Amino acid sequence: MLRVIGTRLGVMVLIMLTVSVLLFVMNEGDPRLVARSVLGPYAQDEQLDAWVEQNGYDKPMAVRYLNWVGRIFAGDLGESIIYKQPVNNIFWKRLGNTGILAGITFAIMVVVSLALGVLAGMKEGSARDRFISFISIFTTSIPEYASAVILSGIFVFWLAWLPGTSAMSGGFNAVELVLPVAVLTLYGFGYVARMTRASMAEVMMSNYIRTAVLKGLPYWRVIMKHALRNALIAPFTVIMLQFNWLLSGVVVTEFAFGYKGFGALLLEAALRRDIFVIEACGIVAVFVAVGTQTIGDLVYTYLNPRIRFS
Amino acid sequence: MKRKYLGSDKRYILKSEKDWAAETHEYLPELCDQLHTAEINRRDFLRQACLLGMAAPVAYGLAGALTGRPFLPQAAAATPKKGGALRVSMRVQEMTDPATFSWTEPANVSRFMVEYLTRTQADNTTVPYLAESWEASDDLKHWVFKLRKGITWSNGDEFTSEDVAHNVNRWLDQDTGSSNLGLFGAMVEEFDTGKKKDGNPVMGKRGIAGAVEVIDKHTIKFNLRNPSLAMPENFYNYPAAIVHRGFGKDYKNDLSANPIGTGPFSLADFAIGEKAILKKTRDWWAGDFYLDEIQYFDHGEDTNAHVAALVSKQVDMIFRLPNQSIETIKRVPHLELHPVTTAQTAVMRFRTSEKPFDNKKLRQAVAACMDHDEILKVAFRGAGVIAENHHVSPIHPEYAKLPPLKRDVEKAKALLKEAGYANGIALEIANGDTEGPWMTDACAVFKQQCEPAGITVNINKMPTNQYWEVWDKAPWGYTAWTHRALGTMVLGLAYRKGVPWNECAYDNPAFDMALDEAEATLDVNERRKKIAVCQKIIQDDAIIPQPFWRTVYKASSKRVKGHNTHPTLYHQFQNVWLDDA
Repeated sequence: MLRVIGTRLGVMVLIMLTVSVLLFVMNEGDPRLVARSVLGPYAQDEQLDAWVEQNGYDKPMAVRYLNWVGRIFAGDLGESIIYKQPVNNIFWKRLGNTGILAGITFAIMVVVSLALGVLAGMKEGSARDRFISFISIFTTSIPEYASAVILSGIFVFWLAWLPGTSAMSGGFNAVELVLPVAVLTLYGFGYVARMTRASMAEVMMSNYIRTAVLKGLPYWRVIMKHALRNALIAPFTVIMLQFNWLLSGVVVTEFAFGYKGFGALLLEAALRRDIFVIEACGIVAVFVAVGTQTIGDLVYTYLNPRIRFS
Repeated sequence: MKRKYLGSDKRYILKSEKDWAAETHEYLPELCDQLHTAEINRRDFLRQACLLGMAAPVAYGLAGALTGRPFLPQAAAATPKKGGALRVSMRVQEMTDPATFSWTEPANVSRFMVEYLTRTQADNTTVPYLAESWEASDDLKHWVFKLRKGITWSNGDEFTSEDVAHNVNRWLDQDTGSSNLGLFGAMVEEFDTGKKKDGNPVMGKRGIAGAVEVIDKHTIKFNLRNPSLAMPENFYNYPAAIVHRGFGKDYKNDLSANPIGTGPFSLADFAIGEKAILKKTRDWWAGDFYLDEIQYFDHGEDTNAHVAALVSKQVDMIFRLPNQSIETIKRVPHLELHPVTTAQTAVMRFRTSEKPFDNKKLRQAVAACMDHDEILKVAFRGAGVIAENHHVSPIHPEYAKLPPLKRDVEKAKALLKEAGYANGIALEIANGDTEGPWMTDACAVFKQQCEPAGITVNINKMPTNQYWEVWDKAPWGYTAWTHRALGTMVLGLAYRKGVPWNECAYDNPAFDMALDEAEATLDVNERRKKIAVCQKIIQDDAIIPQPFWRTVYKASSKRVKGHNTHPTLYHQFQNVWLDDA
């Protein structure tokens, strides 16, 4: 097991290094472009040259890359071009905001999707199964930008029940989270519910479940004690993937509701070429993606002893 | 010339009135006569009279007397209530040096702290502000501004001529990087920097010797190289806010870190991309300012989010209303719509120094393909006025009507052939939708209009901020320009040789000369003749196919009273109050 963990962590580090090289070359490969981003469109050539020299961008790229990696390990993410302050000052706050949004969404989505998936999979082909499957497919097929408009149209413009944006301008306000959480949950729960349903349906067809039922065990006990644990192994990987989606996939929702999170920060940085913010967001997004995947693999191995890594 | 008279009860001007006007400026009696005989309208009279140094209340009073239509300011028509916080949805951008602002938004936040020498009002008239009056020499080459006494900075210092001198000298310093360098071009000269590039001397720009002359503590004189008509109006250009004399000298040039100003508000909270909270912390030298607080909230890039915030009463006003939301606002009972006719536009400008757009015939061929009316109707729902490819708007006082432009595909084909592209040509236009998605729509319509002539237009759609990196470099680009009070202002900013915002790299001595003459002409009718020359030159050189002038919409809650939408979307809240305060 230790060897498996070691291998997985090694692969994770390798992926991170590869991505960091790509991020660095794309963003800082051309020193004059970096200078242009920092000094703005009106900077003269002489000013660009002076900036490149003063900030060590005239050194070889390999040296600059190693310096950059060293700074990141030292906790220095650079200074934001848009915000005119260290990336650390804004980045972690934004990441925390997305953590709140993603955390609430995740909690609701997992509970709802597992419950509906199990309910649907218990009796494959029943009216309940078909209804839940229809709802799952229907909501998942509506992209976030469309459901954001539809929900806003109903609850903001028509019924006037909810605030239209979620900028939290007056401090944290749970009501402002209702619409973004609803949009994310609607889009995300169907996928997990469908996976859970398929897994549950397969388990329910297995011999040991049939034996348990024939032995006269109460139906709910069969479900809760025997079927559920095995049925949840397959959806687990999908659930772990949702972490990654919730971090990088919230861009559209945060944009639509003016939510000050990681996704909106990344989008704004990309639009305005705020390279140091892009790099920080990129590194963290990849870290979360690779990290959750590694954890998912390891836990999956633990949950399902039939899986062995050679 | 046959004169027609306005529907006024008063059919004559008293000699005493004329003499009195002449004391302010020798041209004023003539101006009175022109208003009286309807050669100019009331708005032009007010603009000109204020511009020549007549106090605004006096000018309004005189206009009322001459036309028989007394003027009643809107705010005076109701009883304002004091207090309350006005909440506005607007991007909150970095706010370091007002002289280098490239956007209206940071100027809107800062204008309640740092103020301007003059103020151009929503009706396009320019009135005294930090300056209480001004006088121009007859040749318009010397301008004396008298500053108000008794104004103090928020740090306790007295506001004096030294403050103004410090600001203007900073603007005229090339290293500051202010667009005011082009705006105040009459005080600027070129010089050899001593450096060489590609074997050619690198020329720089600097203020002429003696351009800024402090007469006394409250009087300052500007000595110009050329006559300039628009000095008072230029002083209200958004990067022309007057900062403290220590700004950028005794302390860092960062207004958000050092918010020292003459205005009544101070910066209580400021976070780029989130909010800017301004609180009234002292009495305003100009009188009542009804609001206690002005709060700006940033709801991101998506303008639909701004509208949603307004509809759900999270804010009272939005900076700008996207066209597609006009019908939505009309249906919401607690909101009202504020359309304003403006000289805001966007020009499909060619960079004349870049191939193939250095070829005049090619430019003319492209311009000949344009059906302005169709682009206006399809891309902007007809909410505007068609333009004529010369960047002077019908609402500019000196606008001269030229023969209408008509789309002529056969002429375009012939010009294309003369240009050396008989088999057609593929061109790329850069567009960043900097003012909204209608810009892409306008490009798409024009693309179709060009096709029959053998011109294939490829639209290079890029993110807004990416466009602002190439707006003055792309060989062909679609650039939005904001409203300015006078036609001469925008022509001087954008098309005079060597000015920073000359995105066309336009270099036409005949145009520069014609513009110099127009800027030196006070009489609006005479100036119209001279600006017509400028308009014709730009039109003939085909440097800016320009589809239309935009009507701009703003929306606010009905609880907001006393607000006039400014054509430049500048926030002027001195008469604004809240009904439920």
